[in-house]
Amino acid sequence: MTKKQRLTHKKVSHARRADLRNGLLFSSPVIIGLLLFTVYPVGASLYYSFCNYTGLKPPTWVGMANYHRLLTDPLVTKSLANTAVFAAFSVPLGVAVAFWLALLLNQKVRGMALFRTLFYLPSIVPTVATSVLWLWVLNPQYGILPGILRGIGVYSLFHMFGIPEPGWMADPMWAKPALILMSLWGAGGSMIIFLAGLQDVPQDLFDAAEVDGATTLHRTIHITLPFMSPYIFFSIVMGLIGAAQYFTQAYVMTGGQGGPVNSTLFYAMYLFQNAFHFFKMGYACAMAWFLFLVILAATIIVFKSSARFVYYQGDAK
Amino acid sequence: MRKVVIIALAVVVIGLIWFHKPVFSYIDARFLGATVSSPNEIVIWHPWGGTQKELFEKVVKEFERTHPDIKVKIVFTPNDLSNNQKFFSSVAAGKPPDVTFVDGPQVSEWAEQGALQPLDKEVAATGIKPGDYFTPCWKQNYYDGHVWAVTYCADPNFAFAWNKKTFRDAGLDPNKPPKTIAEMDKLAEKLTKSGSRGLTSIGIIPWGQFGNANSMYTWGWAFGGSFYDEKTHKVTANDPKNVKALEWMCSYAQKYGLTNISNLAQGFGNLDRNPFYIGQLGMGCFHISQVVDARTYAPKLDYGLGYIPSPQGGEKHSSWIGGWCMALPRGCKKPELAWKFIKWMCADVKGTAVAGKTQDLFPGYRKSTYFDEIKSDQRYGPFVEILNQCKHQRPVMPAQAYYMGALDRAVGQAVYGKMTPKAALDQATKETQRELDLRLAGK
Repeated sequence: MTKKQRLTHKKVSHARRADLRNGLLFSSPVIIGLLLFTVYPVGASLYYSFCNYTGLKPPTWVGMANYHRLLTDPLVTKSLANTAVFAAFSVPLGVAVAFWLALLLNQKVRGMALFRTLFYLPSIVPTVATSVLWLWVLNPQYGILPGILRGIGVYSLFHMFGIPEPGWMADPMWAKPALILMSLWGAGGSMIIFLAGLQDVPQDLFDAAEVDGATTLHRTIHITLPFMSPYIFFSIVMGLIGAAQYFTQAYVMTGGQGGPVNSTLFYAMYLFQNAFHFFKMGYACAMAWFLFLVILAATIIVFKSSARFVYYQGDAK
Repeated sequence: MRKVVIIALAVVVIGLIWFHKPVFSYIDARFLGATVSSPNEIVIWHPWGGTQKELFEKVVKEFERTHPDIKVKIVFTPNDLSNNQKFFSSVAAGKPPDVTFVDGPQVSEWAEQGALQPLDKEVAATGIKPGDYFTPCWKQNYYDGHVWAVTYCADPNFAFAWNKKTFRDAGLDPNKPPKTIAEMDKLAEKLTKSGSRGLTSIGIIPWGQFGNANSMYTWGWAFGGSFYDEKTHKVTANDPKNVKALEWMCSYAQKYGLTNISNLAQGFGNLDRNPFYIGQLGMGCFHISQVVDARTYAPKLDYGLGYIPSPQGGEKHSSWIGGWCMALPRGCKKPELAWKFIKWMCADVKGTAVAGKTQDLFPGYRKSTYFDEIKSDQRYGPFVEILNQCKHQRPVMPAQAYYMGALDRAVGQAVYGKMTPKAALDQATKETQRELDLRLAGK
């Protein structure tokens, strides 16, 4: 290295260092914020998960006791099962309904903007308001849903087979289906994403397929679906995460109890109860970390399997 | 130029860090209305919303009038099992209010948590004696050898209410309320009616008395049961008499059909559509606050109030205490002024009378002149009688909230037929005991 080269090298690195310093300085609010309000709480919750901690008194180390209790707590099992059932039904159903709506709203019909707005509208209603509204929709005696089901004869079928009329939120058998049904009310969010995705599907492929004699169903399955797969994939992942954290609706509709008989006691709700009703902060932290592991595992599985069904445009595969 | 900007930024950042206290307190006071106050101002966190808030403000005004040297700032903070995070955070941060309200059954738990400070010194200096308060009120606030709170309002839970019009319509004598459980069952049969879509009215829903857990306490004690042994720290939810009580509660689910009852209850309205006012419910437990509600929303309601029925061999005239207490948070900055406030509100003949009269509640302070005014009132009279005989308070132990949760689940499991009453209460006992032991071991 000549002397001159060394000089320029030094000069560049000096300028770079200055840039780095300035850059760090300017981004320091974010960095400090992240450290203070995200990294520290996350780390602290990991520490507390090994403690008996009630919030005000100093935590006492109990090792794996919280995690051990977690595995033997029947309500953890129950709430996990509730959450799994909810996710298993609400996520695929939600995606299917949103996809179907998006297909319908992708037609060239007059007044389409109005329809799109109407179908999207429910997803911008605040969750608490929706929940209270649905308590009335589902009211077994005066609700509109039971009214419709009664009107179109579904309840007569129930009677024929000797099934009692569903009590919806009052009935442990029907409370979860009620919430799953209600979750479809918010399908507008995914619908908008699908609708945007549908604009990307190349028209010439459709034209070619039509020339080859493909039916609408064939075109949907063999052209639309593959092109839409990244969007569907995204919706499934977000839906899974959302379902694992399902809380507000069940909390509002059951007065924070998860009733009847724990049928709507979801994992996040039981976690909340432990933390803020019973002051079992340590245990709640352990529950949160356990939930994190479960979501992580589920997401990894979905991601690993995604290569089989997700098609990215321009991908060599 | 760039250097100037950087230096200026750095100066601002360092300045902010250096002077963060005055800056934050300015922001607190100016924008967040926090507890930065003049030396004679105290901050009270209270749980009263809606119209009760205005009435509480009136009481506080009267305190300020009689104590011109103290200024009071009141802040509404919803304060039940799930909503006390704000208070706990404030204590943890060392910035609590000067006085907080605490729900009676929570006193021991909050004390054990270290959220309150003992009041022994203040109580002794003021000359307050245990006998000045209704017995369960005092017991509720006395935990681990210290006094932690003073009762502001004593709710006699509950009076037994029956709708006289509904009784008449069903061909029953409106002046003969049930004295025993057996009598109540018979009346309930006559008061329960059904239509094409299921039940249209019901005599009583045993587990519908202010939630599963409170229902369990109410009937458990009426059947002569007990829930906790304070001496041995043993949870006794599965006391055979409690099991009997729960079995009786479940008998209604079997007799009238649980789905039928739940469906009916889902349709219950509130305010002027309260099921008791409109004859959907013939009988039930009445909370003292419902007297005002009934006056407001159903001024013509013809109803009677009396003692809760009990079975043969149970506890006659059974009741338990509810209601709010006041306490000094740990780390409160102006305990002397704060205590003056508590003293006037909770331990002063005149103050308690003002509070009682204005907010339509019963003071926990026996000597309050308010009781002389209302003991012959048609509605409040029965409540005064109940309060004078009241024996029970919810278990004074640091896992009370957990206990309530466990009872809630137990009643649910039993009523829905998922478990036998015995098994459900056994489980509640076991779980609560484990939780209690954990908390007591932490000491």
